[in-house]
This record gives sequence, structure tokens and C-alpha cells, in this order.
Amino acid sequence: MEGSLFLPDALSETAKEIDGLFYILTGIAVVIFLLVWMLLLIFLVRYRRKHPTKEGLRLYGNTRLEIIWTVIPALILVVLGIYSAQMVYALQKPPADAYEIQVTASKWKWEFTYPDGPNGGFTTLNDLRLPAGKPILFRITSKDVIHSFWVPELRIKMDAVPGRETRVWVKPLKEEGKFKVLCAEYCGTAHANMVSDALVMKEEHFGKWVASGGKEDPSGQPLDGKQLAQQFGCLACHAIDGRELAGPSWKGIYGTERELADGSKVKVDDEYLKESIVNPNAKVVKGYGPAMPAYPQLSDAQLQALVDYIKSLK
Amino acid sequence: MEAAHRSSFLREWILTVDHKKIGILYGITSLVFLFLGGLAALVIRTELFRPGQDVVTPDTFNQLFTMHGTIMIFGFVIPMLTGAFANYLVPIMIGARDMAFPRMNALSYWLFLLGGLVLLSSFFIGQMPDVGWTAYPPYSIESKGLGLDLWVTSVHILGLSSILGAINVIVTIFNLRAPGMTFSRLPLFVWSSLATAFIQLFGVPALGGAVTTLLLDKHAGTIFYNVAAGGDPMLYQHLFWFYSHPAVYVMILPAMGIVSEIIPVFARKPIFGYKAVAYSSLTIALLAFFVWAHHMFVAGMQLSAGIPFMVTSMIIAVPSAIKVFNWLATLYRGQIDFKTPMLFATLGFVGLFTIGGLSGLYLANVPVDLHLHDTYFVVAHFHYVLFGGSLMAILAGLYFWFPKAFGRMYNETLGKWTFALFFIGVNLTFFPMHFAGMLNMPRRYFDYSYDPSLAWLNQISTIGAYITGVAAVLLAANLVVSAVRGAKASANPWGALTLEWQTSSPPPHENFEEIPVVTSGPYEYGEPETPRKRFKYGQTVGGETISG
Repeated sequence: MEGSLFLPDALSETAKEIDGLFYILTGIAVVIFLLVWMLLLIFLVRYRRKHPTKEGLRLYGNTRLEIIWTVIPALILVVLGIYSAQMVYALQKPPADAYEIQVTASKWKWEFTYPDGPNGGFTTLNDLRLPAGKPILFRITSKDVIHSFWVPELRIKMDAVPGRETRVWVKPLKEEGKFKVLCAEYCGTAHANMVSDALVMKEEHFGKWVASGGKEDPSGQPLDGKQLAQQFGCLACHAIDGRELAGPSWKGIYGTERELADGSKVKVDDEYLKESIVNPNAKVVKGYGPAMPAYPQLSDAQLQALVDYIKSLK
Repeated sequence: MEAAHRSSFLREWILTVDHKKIGILYGITSLVFLFLGGLAALVIRTELFRPGQDVVTPDTFNQLFTMHGTIMIFGFVIPMLTGAFANYLVPIMIGARDMAFPRMNALSYWLFLLGGLVLLSSFFIGQMPDVGWTAYPPYSIESKGLGLDLWVTSVHILGLSSILGAINVIVTIFNLRAPGMTFSRLPLFVWSSLATAFIQLFGVPALGGAVTTLLLDKHAGTIFYNVAAGGDPMLYQHLFWFYSHPAVYVMILPAMGIVSEIIPVFARKPIFGYKAVAYSSLTIALLAFFVWAHHMFVAGMQLSAGIPFMVTSMIIAVPSAIKVFNWLATLYRGQIDFKTPMLFATLGFVGLFTIGGLSGLYLANVPVDLHLHDTYFVVAHFHYVLFGGSLMAILAGLYFWFPKAFGRMYNETLGKWTFALFFIGVNLTFFPMHFAGMLNMPRRYFDYSYDPSLAWLNQISTIGAYITGVAAVLLAANLVVSAVRGAKASANPWGALTLEWQTSSPPPHENFEEIPVVTSGPYEYGEPETPRKRFKYGQTVGGETISG
């Protein structure tokens, strides 16, 4: 993760504006902080008691001074308030030509629905792609509890509330960039694993990617099973080091024989694994509930990459 | 009165209706909760020492931060300030013999203990709530087990305790002031306790209503938050914050009151701008009810609906700033004695509360909050206010009034060391959290494997937390040992002027031999300035003409 100690890279117009405001606030805060701490330290040192019986100065107040230090902070805040309020209205109003992406949050994954593609729209899992330089409107909702859609590099955050559609818009800059979508509203066990990949792509790449229904990566990278497992959130429930989480651990699982909930036995091979991803409740291993969501949207290449990854975990 | 009945532990402490003993019971119970909440915090920080999962499961982690928040707020800070300090000090500071309703006062304490035990029982049956101290539905309603039920029951009982306590404080201040104790002579701690009591009285019912709806939805099939049936989860957030933001000021106003008592005594000066400090308490209490939705800028309201709340939140910063300037001006040309309470009140409270106030400025700002909401920046902010603010003032107060309550002195050297460790620990723990939040760390995450570069910030925080833990142990040792074996304290070891110091240490039953008659304000310290002699050229002084 590149970026300063202060803020991550700013990859949108919005981010640059919000950062500007952030640094104005920081300027004010640093000045007040230094003023208070310097006075505090100077007074504490300068007026420390020299004789146990000495008294200080009998001074009850000073009306003029008190009016000054009431009015000045108030004025600073009025100016800040007016400036910030204008920005709020700008942030609220998306441009008419914004590209709309539907964001659906659920425990503990992100689904992104694009309005075009081969069958008039398609959905990806934990894989957000944005065309560079185009305004984008996110229409956000949740299938279960409240989540919050946060993209630090874009400086936007908006809760995903069940039964309600919230909106936030952003314009990614004209450069490519990789970052993460995080869930910022507490949503239970795997709250911290509700992380999606996000990628700003050149517009022509984005177009190709959409045309393929999100199944082909125009950059031509070979599929990496480990990365897919992270992207699809598999690792929130399946450990790779033998720990038992909500689902069976993948470590050394390939080639073993497992007992199912109905008492029958099954050998863990390619076929069984693929079926368990596409239709998890067909054969549930004994001791686990039918808790896993189905992943029918994966391409064959993605399925094979995942199986190869599980195979490699000895 | 005193000599008539045989004293026993049962009569002395369990059946007591004496406000001082009830205050001490509140204090001891709250401190036990402080340690329990602190242990939860240490486990949380240990888990976050490095990315990945180390010491607890994600579910346990979620239960721990829920318990940490609930215990610290409802079990420690609020009862310590409005129970222990207000109970002990309000009657004696205004020259009364006791609270207006002593038996109701005892009921407040026992309800507090009961509510606390209900919450702790969830630990012993292995079903701690995992809903966060905010318990947002629909998540909280879907939670399994008894966690939420015990949490709601506990909050209800504690709320009832708060309401009874608030009524007691208000009636006592209005009706039991000693002759001559006019409102313009009230000690500032009493002013702040009055403002706080009004907040509790008006605010707690909203919280009671909010948490009741959770139980009804969970068990009785109501549809307050059932989206499928037309309910709305955001209603709960409005109800919850309508109390819980004012509750934040419940946790800071009495702390400001404590600081306003301590600084004049050790600086040997009157408080600067008495009226401004008193009225800013009332202003804060009133404004506290108009800022609640600043917790909800990104909760699904229209962004511009946040603007009025941004404005009110910025306005409330003004009276807080006024108080800081008043305390600083009180130090100006004083004769400052660095006893432990003074260190906690100045470098501790004034210095660190300022940082918490300034970070609040960022979060009150709608556009900036888009990025910072629900991140570790928020955690840093409210810990600077609650730990750097409330807890520092509580510690200052504990050391300051300890000789009064127990008739013995604490150990000054150990007190100063404790301050140093707390100060270092708090800053190490919470300052790096600003940066973690600004970068990409949401709050309530048990793991940050998505960006391991956050590790060094978290490691500093964890080390700081352990230093704070050591400081807390020193504090406990100092108080416990000094209560038994400390040097005898005089009636007024600090040379303070408020009424609690004008009676013996510890004070007798019913506080005063005779009800005092008040003839002056509470902060008449210091000496008037002797004007410097000024001579003009050509003036004749003592027969000699001054020349250039």
C-alpha cells in the first residue's frame, strides 16, 4: 500500500477535494494544539510555586478577553461550516451521465452488478472494476444486516442498509490503480474479512471486460487460485492451516475421504470440490451446517484454479 | 445519633443511606469494572499486535469489544462520575447533611450493582453479547443466545439507577443548599453535576425505549426493524444516539467540574471566568441533545441532512474551547504546586482533552467524515476524550479527595510515577490509531491481514496499552495500601476553600457539626496585586526631584 503516513493515495476528484479540507482542518488543529500546549507548558514552568505559602494573583476574569476567545473560534467554525456545506451538496449530486454500479453487501462478501454485458448485466463477487476518468454512481444495498461500503483511496463511505438504497458517486482519476473495498460497519464474525478487490482500468480494457461478462481478464494474467480464494472470501470460513472455522479446513483435504451429514462417504477430488463450490449444500460434511452460499457465477477456469490451489495445500 | 446503634459491617455499609458511604461503594464498584474493562482491552490489543488471528477467535474478539465498551461506559465512567463523585461531593459541597432522598440514593447504588452483575453474568454462562456497545439492528436482533437479552436487561437496570440518581442530585441542589450558598457561589463541580443530571433525566428514557424495541423485535415478533415488513433499522440509530451522544457529555461535564475544582486550589488563584465556566456547562448540556445524527452521516440519510448536525457539533466545540482557555488563564500568574491531582488535571486532562476535541472537529465535518467514519480515527478520538479527558479527571479527583474520604494521605511519589506511566501509555496507545484510521483500518476488525503494513502502528498501540495496565496496577496499589496505612491526613491538606474541606477528614455522619453559613464564593484564593509605584520625571518624591 503506497501513500503517506497521513492518507492513502487519492484516486478520485472527490478524494482530492476531501483531502484539501482535511489539510485545512489539520492546519487549524495544529495551530490550536500548539497554542494550548505552549501556554500550558510555559505557565506550568514559569509559575511553579517557589514558596509553600505564596498565593497567586487574585484575578477573577477579563470580559474583553473572554469575548475574544469566544468569538474567534466561533467565526473560524462558521467559515468552515459554510465551506464544508457547499462541498456536501456537490458530493450529493451525481452527474447525469454517471455509470451506475449496483453494490450488494451480505455476510461477508460484496457483489457488484454491472448494467451491461453479454446478457444485459452481470454480477461479480468481491471484484470491483471501475473505468478510469468516468463518473460512477454506486447504488448500495444489503441482503442481511447493515454493512458499510468503504473505499479508502476514493475517500467514500456509505452504509449498505437492508430495505433501502443508499447512493454515493465518485470519479476515479485517469490512471490505473489497485485497491480494496472494506466493510466499515460491524456485521459479525467475519467483519474483518469482508474485503473486496477493486481495480481502476483503462476505459477500453474495462469495455472488453464488461463485454466478456466479467469472466476474462483483458490484462491476460494467468488465474491465481490463492488470489481467487481471497477475492471470493473463501478464507473467511475455510482455514489453510488446519484450524476449523465455520467450514472445514483446506489443509491436506485433497484426496481424503470425508463422512457426510447423511452418513455416506465421499472422496475429495476435483469433481467433488467443484460441485461443492457451485452447489455447496449437495454434499455437506458431517459436523457442519449448510451455511455456505453458492457460487454459480464462476467460470470453469476460475473453478479449476481454485481446485488446483486446494490441491497444493499439503 | 451515632452512638445509639451498634455498628456492624452490615449496618455500616450494606444498609447505609449515607451519601458518602454510597459514594465510596459506587467508587469501589466502578473501579472493579474499570479493571474488568481494561482486561478486555488488553486482550483486544494483544490480538491486534500483528495481523492474522492469534489469541482469540473472531467471535470472542467481538464479544470482548462489546463488553469493553459497555463496561467502560455504563459500568465505569458514568457511575464513577455521577455516582461516586456526585454522591460524595454534591451534598457536602453545598453544605447539606445528605441527599434529598437518602434511601432512593441507596436504591440507585444497588440497582447499579445489580445491572453490572447482570451484564457480567453473560461471561459466566459463556454467552457474552457480541453486538457492539451500540447494538445496531438487524444484526443485534439476529444474534443467538442470551447475550443481547442480558445486555438489554442490564442497560435497563443501569438506566433506572441513573434516572433515580439524577432526580436526587437535582432536588438536592435546588432544595438543600446551606444559608448563603447562592447559585453564584456554587462550586463548579456542583454546576456540572446539575447539568449532567438534567441530561440523564431527559436522555435515558430514549435509550430505554430504543433497547426495549430490540427485545420486542427479537422475542415478540414486532416489526420496528424488520425490513421485509416495512420496519426501518435507522430508527434505532436515531433513538440510540439521541441518548448516547448526550451520554458522552454525561461522561465529560463532571470531569470538567473536577478539573475546575482542582486547578484553582493548586494554582492558588480564583477560577478565571467563573460564570463562563458554569454557563458553558449548561450550554453543553442543552446543545448535547441537538448533535446526535453526527454519528449517522453515512448511515443512509441524505448527505445534506447531516449539515445541521455538522453545524451544531461545531457550535458545541465553542463552550468546550472556552473552558480550556479559562483553565489556562487560571494558571496564568498562579503559584502552581505539582501535586499528583494537579498533574492529572493539567497535563493530563487539559492537554489530552484538547487533542480529543480537535479530532472531533474532523469527525463533525461531513465530507471528511465520509472517509473517517467507523475507522480507528474515531476510536482514537473518543479515547482521547474519555481516557485523556474523563479518566484523567477521575484519577485527579481520586487522588484529590482521597484524604478527605479516608482520612489518610496517598503516596505522592508513587502518584507521580503513576501519572507519568498513564500519560505515556495513553499517548502511545491512542495517538497511532489516528493514522491507522486515516489509512485504511476500520474499527471492530479482529484482523488486518488485508494490509499487514498497519502492524507497526498497532504494535505501538499494544505496547502503550500494557504500560497503561501497569499504571492501573500502581494506582490500585497506592489507593488500597494508603487507605489502610497512609499517613493521617488533616481536615484540609490542600488549603482548599470549598465546604467539604471545612469539616473533618473523613467527615462525620451528616457532614457538619453545624450547618455552615456561606459568605463568599468558593475560589477566593490569591492576593490582590500590589500596584507598582510609578514615577514621572520632574515629580517630587520625599523631597527629591527625579531627573532623567
